Amino acid sequence: MAKVLEGPGMGLLSKWGMAVPHYVVITEAEQLERLAEANAWLRESKLVAKAHEAIGSRMKLGLVKVGVDLKGAESAALEMLGKEISGVTISQVIISEMIDHEKEFYLAVQSTRDGAEILLASMGGIEVESNWEKVKKVSIPLGTNPTKDQLVKLAIEAGFEGGLEEKVAEFAIKLFQCYDQEDGNYLEINPLVRRNGNGELTALDAVTMVDADARFRHPDWNFSFASEFGRPYSDGEKAILEIDTRIKGSVKFIEIPGGDTALLPAGGGASVYYSDAVLAMGGTLANYAEYSGDPPDWAVEALTERVCSLKGIKRIIVGGAIANFTNVKKTFSGIIKGFRKAKAEGKMDGVQIWVRRGGPFEKEGLASMKALEKEGFDIHVYDRYTPLTDIVDYATKGVSK
Amino acid sequence: MSIVANKDTRVVIQGGPAGVNAARRMAEFCHLANTPLNVLAFVFPPDAGKTVDIPFGGALASVPVFKTVAEATGAFPAINTALVYIGPNRAFKGTMESLTNPAIKVVSMITEGVPEKDAKLLTLEAKKLGKTFNGPSSIGIISAGESRLGVVGGSYDNLILCKLHRPGSFGVITKSGGLSNEIMWICSQFADGVTTAIGIGGDAYPGSDYVTYLEMFENDPQTKAVVMVGEMGGDLEERAAAWYGEKKRRIKLISVVSGYCQEKLPKGMKFGHAGAKEGKHGEGSARSKADALRNAGVSVPATFGGLGPEIKKTYEDFLKDGTIKASADEEAKDLPSLPKPVEEAMKSGDVFAAPLLKSTICDDRGDEPQYVGYPASELINKGYQIPHVIGLLWDKRLVSPVEAEIIKRIVMLSADHGPCVSGALVTIIAACAGIQMSQAVAAGLIMIGPRFGGAVTGAGTWFKYGVEHKMTPEDFLAHMKKNVGPVPGIGHRVKSVSNPDKRVQELVGFVKSQGIPTPHLDFALSVEKITTAKKGTLILNVDGAMAAILVDMSFPVDALNGFFILSRTIGLIGHWVDQKRQGSRLVRLYKYLANYVTTKKREVPPLDSV
Repeated sequence: MAKVLEGPGMGLLSKWGMAVPHYVVITEAEQLERLAEANAWLRESKLVAKAHEAIGSRMKLGLVKVGVDLKGAESAALEMLGKEISGVTISQVIISEMIDHEKEFYLAVQSTRDGAEILLASMGGIEVESNWEKVKKVSIPLGTNPTKDQLVKLAIEAGFEGGLEEKVAEFAIKLFQCYDQEDGNYLEINPLVRRNGNGELTALDAVTMVDADARFRHPDWNFSFASEFGRPYSDGEKAILEIDTRIKGSVKFIEIPGGDTALLPAGGGASVYYSDAVLAMGGTLANYAEYSGDPPDWAVEALTERVCSLKGIKRIIVGGAIANFTNVKKTFSGIIKGFRKAKAEGKMDGVQIWVRRGGPFEKEGLASMKALEKEGFDIHVYDRYTPLTDIVDYATKGVSK
Repeated sequence: MSIVANKDTRVVIQGGPAGVNAARRMAEFCHLANTPLNVLAFVFPPDAGKTVDIPFGGALASVPVFKTVAEATGAFPAINTALVYIGPNRAFKGTMESLTNPAIKVVSMITEGVPEKDAKLLTLEAKKLGKTFNGPSSIGIISAGESRLGVVGGSYDNLILCKLHRPGSFGVITKSGGLSNEIMWICSQFADGVTTAIGIGGDAYPGSDYVTYLEMFENDPQTKAVVMVGEMGGDLEERAAAWYGEKKRRIKLISVVSGYCQEKLPKGMKFGHAGAKEGKHGEGSARSKADALRNAGVSVPATFGGLGPEIKKTYEDFLKDGTIKASADEEAKDLPSLPKPVEEAMKSGDVFAAPLLKSTICDDRGDEPQYVGYPASELINKGYQIPHVIGLLWDKRLVSPVEAEIIKRIVMLSADHGPCVSGALVTIIAACAGIQMSQAVAAGLIMIGPRFGGAVTGAGTWFKYGVEHKMTPEDFLAHMKKNVGPVPGIGHRVKSVSNPDKRVQELVGFVKSQGIPTPHLDFALSVEKITTAKKGTLILNVDGAMAAILVDMSFPVDALNGFFILSRTIGLIGHWVDQKRQGSRLVRLYKYLANYVTTKKREVPPLDSV
């Protein structure tokens, strides 16, 4: 599941025949003037200016300006671009046309185990969350398409009437097509509005989640995916994401500022147990990380450097279950190189390293970790006979078994 | 007993190198469990028609590669299982191919990064056909003592440590590959080991879920308890809880769930597995899963660390109530060892192999070649030059600066001598005939011999002989005339006293100016004095001059021709490139350049009259 920002998300809806407001995405406020020469709507409509970044609660942070004219949009863009919000610089602003409307609706398609669900409500915006029981659903079994009759029925159930149920059903069919053909995971239009004047249904705002694994069959996906946890990816996270896309195996890295315990564990499953163990012991996580599938040692080295660069960490947990095919010696050699670099840069002062691992070439790998003691590292190494997460207990208490 | 994979499981592996690697691991297991090799065929269109050699015990098993699954099952009717190691963009088609093949009952998909839609459609197809579809992103399935599908279980040593050569009493179901191995290890340490361990993969919609396999374990009398490793996201653990709580189950279920950390970490964060993600409204949290499982009567230790003690307690209870009878385990030393490749066995000192050849000049076993002990990069960085490398590799020593300069001059002076000499001529003719560089240059080098460039070693040998035996030039010439013939290194086709060889003059002049002892060069020059007195062309030629100088520098005589061969290779390569760049056409000798001295045309007699 991967999040697509508003601009490209709207692009996908438009591709499948759904009306969306006119919009432009800019990186410099000056671009707007030239765009206005080419696009009458920028001169003639009321506008909305929003920071085009994966930042949560943009409204509260003053990153949304509604009902401005071109001049107002330009000054809003000027103000937002380059602004730092919790360590992240805003680099894009989306300017869209304000749509005159009275009623707001809610429409979504979400992937389920057996197919998909279409969700519909005759109310929209923030009202939906508090009236969730009024959202009507219909299941579309895998490999089938919804019929218009089925969706008209759903619309009537949701309270649409006076011919609007027909229009909403047609719109929902288009959204389903978009979901199905674009490998969607979750497409939510909120609000869906009826434009004053021509009465056309228009998607005013949308959440677009698609299947990143399907990228190979969508050559027109020219966008990169946005983070889903309320802030854009940091440079360090982007660097690891980029490595992850081009290696065999995987490396993952998310920073959590303020934590005292850094994670450098192996395995998608074990890494979450290590995260749980740190918190269960009363520690705070400085990051989430994971490497698996026998990644090249240079990739693990790059990940290690990022982990060691986390501010204020007291310990690093180099945990891992008993690998099936990840070469412990080889991946550890990457970690060791990363540790040495970090030490030379003075980043390992006062940082303890706790290691537990098994798998192919475990003896050699663990021995080379152990040998770091001689280089002045504060390192504690355990093998398969120490249960998986026990090192977290030792590390938190600061005592070896 | 076991589930999904058993003694009758016979496998076709779909995919390339990753599949071959899995086959190797599977063969290791078959060796340990003393079963026939369970991999019968590969399907990999680019290599169709070939066979892949899989080390199996001390021998190599030849496994054929087919273009389609149907061809594989046609050739081997025993095949009933497919493992998919195809890249995500082609995996759907390949998996559909094996799913719809009537011979195949189980398909396990190892491929990671399969689009969810594809996984869901494959699951639907499998359901329609009543087949078992496992994965995607599965580490594999292993039934102790019976069959291994994929790399699950890890290295050979680990198979033994986890007692996978014989069945235990615990079933294992995990999403994570590493944790499946970890649980098998725990079950072997704290209990009697596993029956079958299954990795269902960490995707959001695994083809077969916990319930599918719990149902199978329930019907497998050998399995007394199942360890299920869950994680946040989705509703598979809740479904398992519902199944377990539905009625009295024979098997005991032990489970842990990960993802409590999500309570304190930013919502929407991605963990290692695609499926490890809470819903928008907190559905599928670790806590709600653990509660659902506990409410259904499942043993749920608070942490992963609690699993070992819980499994131990369960095992001891089983022993007490007679569910399991304790039996003595065979010693690990009684299990077959895995024959090691010679290289590994030598490393551990288990084997001595008599080497076939011996090298005293260059060692390439480290990061970079070492020339007589000196790392090549260090030589470069400390300013050494090609003559020093020649000195090291041909005479195992670092030559002095004067010697290096002399070697450099020899190479420069003999690098080429125009297109007409036999070596260059042959290379050029070959180049014009479209022959590739290595062959064309080699053809030119073949010309180097007693009459062209190849007299250096001979000259060096005899000048050295003369000096060693303290001969006068006259005695030397007499000896040569009597025992050897013309003196190598003396005489030239066109050069003479009146038309001296500039190269020889240059070389001799430089060497003499260096104030170094040159007994052999002096001897050669004194011999030349006598021979040129007899005939103007009997000068010390370039071969002879080089030879005398190099013997003075104590180079072994066997290496001497090398100086000419090396130098002239530069020229021959130049000639080949020159012809190539010109786009030269095939050349043939003009007839007027051949002197036809053949018998006049006549009638061929009847064959039987000869």
